[in-house]
Amino acid sequence: MLTEDERQRYDRQIMIRGIGEDGQEKLKQAKVIIAGSGGLGSPASIYLAAAGVGTIRIVDHDRVELSNLNRQILHWDKDVGRNKVDSAAEKLSQLNRGVEIEPVEVTISEDNVSSLVSGFDLIVDAMDNLPTRYLLNRAAIENGIPFVHGAVYGLEGRAMTIIPGKTACLRCVYRGSIPEEKFPVIGVTPAVIACIQATEVIKYIVGIGKLLTNRLLVYDGLDMKFTEFSVKRNPNCDHCGHLAGEE
Amino acid sequence: MSVKLNIPSYLQPYTNDTGVVEVDGSTVSECLNHLVTQFPSIGKMVFAKEGKLLDYVSIYVDGEFAYGDELAKPVKDGDELHVVYIIGGG
Repeated sequence: MLTEDERQRYDRQIMIRGIGEDGQEKLKQAKVIIAGSGGLGSPASIYLAAAGVGTIRIVDHDRVELSNLNRQILHWDKDVGRNKVDSAAEKLSQLNRGVEIEPVEVTISEDNVSSLVSGFDLIVDAMDNLPTRYLLNRAAIENGIPFVHGAVYGLEGRAMTIIPGKTACLRCVYRGSIPEEKFPVIGVTPAVIACIQATEVIKYIVGIGKLLTNRLLVYDGLDMKFTEFSVKRNPNCDHCGHLAGEE
Repeated sequence: MSVKLNIPSYLQPYTNDTGVVEVDGSTVSECLNHLVTQFPSIGKMVFAKEGKLLDYVSIYVDGEFAYGDELAKPVKDGDELHVVYIIGGG
């Protein structure tokens, strides 16, 4: 049940057809884990907290560096040297006191990924490397939790939503890895992709619209172009192939 | 046979900043080889040593993922290919 304060706070989005007070209540009850509190994780968590997602767990093991500040907008000059999750939790709690923020300072690994995501309704991929994305993808499939992928490089971005056992997973589409390297990026690129991810999260929770499933969205900020590619489940996928037949 | 091959920004330094390259070929493989003929330096960014695609390169034919035996996938006049690179930044 929404409080009067919540009705006022979320008035404009409650007006959106398909959201209403019922949808806002769903957002309030939802639990979302955001893996990463960097370029993608900052805007994704800001918009999900602003929208009233009830519980947001933020997982990151890094400390804020000066070179993060061009894009990781939850972290400011005063936060350099501080744990990112604490820096993020402070800002998000100030943004919306009605949202429970759970900062978890840990490196996501094969050993802890399942326990980190267990009990959550959605996983947001805001990582900065592919191996951890694959860990999250597998954990999402094993735990049956929808997974919203996002990635950036320079002025390019990718986004895709994965419903385990029903739609193509990250591993159906990406088979390999890429060399670990310092990648170029400017803050507006992860902002665009993270807002798409947050939109997907809100739509899924509320149960409206058409999700970005079986479609890889490629954003090219240089040419200001979005291209959508059709993808489908790979029956031989080493992550979700064993779930064949549930499509 | 003319096919439009879309090059992502990431790889455009290897195509003299050209975003779309006209190539000839009746398969994805032939089209990519024609690309490499025109821009030899892009070869190492697309192909592994064994002549297979690099693990982090995907080819889409008319917007559809050509996953599997993608190099052998037939293409026809007027088709549009996209080279899509895996990116991992966040």
